[in-house]
Amino acid sequence: MTPGLRALAITIHSALATAILAVTITPAAAHHVGAYVPKDNAVTINFKQVKFSVQARKFDVALRLFEAGALRAEMRAHAATLPAGLEDETRAALATSDGPEVERRLMIFFAALARDLALEADRRLAETGGTAESRAATGRKFLEAIWRYYNLVDFAVATRDNKTSVAVRLAFDEAETYVKPATGATAPADPARLRPPLQRIAQVLSTLIEASSTQARRNS
Amino acid sequence: MTVAAEPHPWHVPPRWVLLVAVLSIVCAEVGGASMARFKVELTRWARDAMLARPAVHGLVGVRDVDERILDEALVKFDAGLRLFHMHAEGMGLVIIATTMVAATVARAGAARRVIIALLTTGGAGYPVGYLVWSALIPAYGLEQAKTIAEWLVWIPFGSATIVALWWLTGLIAVRMLRP
Repeated sequence: MTPGLRALAITIHSALATAILAVTITPAAAHHVGAYVPKDNAVTINFKQVKFSVQARKFDVALRLFEAGALRAEMRAHAATLPAGLEDETRAALATSDGPEVERRLMIFFAALARDLALEADRRLAETGGTAESRAATGRKFLEAIWRYYNLVDFAVATRDNKTSVAVRLAFDEAETYVKPATGATAPADPARLRPPLQRIAQVLSTLIEASSTQARRNS
Repeated sequence: MTVAAEPHPWHVPPRWVLLVAVLSIVCAEVGGASMARFKVELTRWARDAMLARPAVHGLVGVRDVDERILDEALVKFDAGLRLFHMHAEGMGLVIIATTMVAATVARAGAARRVIIALLTTGGAGYPVGYLVWSALIPAYGLEQAKTIAEWLVWIPFGSATIVALWWLTGLIAVRMLRP
């Protein structure tokens, strides 16, 4: 082997050794473990079925889906915290093919679910105990659940009461900033500050439910 | 008519290497079949184990919140089994291909033995990490289970494969420069 080739071989070996050290750490720590895409639950699936049937003006189908589906069962389960007669009035609106009224009743229902979750989250966060991280994680999970329900009716809320929609969104955005895990330069999660926006969400949605229920009764 | 001899015939890797590779593929097939056959039982077991450890999984006792947490954990539990099936199948073939290249390209000696050993153990061990991850999810939660699987299996065995592959690449580069 000529001296030139030997030097080249040594250079290649050195470069490879450095590359091996550099590349083994990174890919070894980045394993593919799949991605999770949140799925609809029985209530949100049934809501979408009813909503699309109403939009297609297939009220008989929507009524059948409502009567046999999880939406009605959930309304019964939450009857204590819902405006009186919500289930019967929703069924009546479906039976009379009154699309806007069905939308209003379902909006009230999901707003009530989101409000109850916000109240429960606030109650949990008021309890002492647990680390800031674990409480922030709990807050984050509640926020996800609140958004999953509220997001379904946000358009209906915005078309009827834009200020409420904006208020809920702003409060939600604020709440999210307090439960984000610390990364790099960002501040660590601060679950104590999460309570005011949660209370605001609950209060704004309570007002919406009250106003919409009263209006719905007046129209009927 | 005469047949010209091939200038660089491929060398078969040692028998134990082929045995490990075939075993890896067999495990992948058995794992895949079991996953399909016992899907309901596995899901039920994982769900019960998770419900028995609410603190580990951050369950709060509110159905609307917990169902999403359980669903994500069950999806990842299932993904771990699927990824084991897929990786064990693929890595079995990777072991055969790469050790064949090593047996052909590397000169007989310690270097060749080490490269083949690293490729075989790394290739056979890495997919087991997915099985470990999946099995630990119900007891330790998503992140803790991932960390254990990483340090116990993925990093050592994955690194072994990567080191061996780069080493082999270097040897091929050198062989190309001075045939």
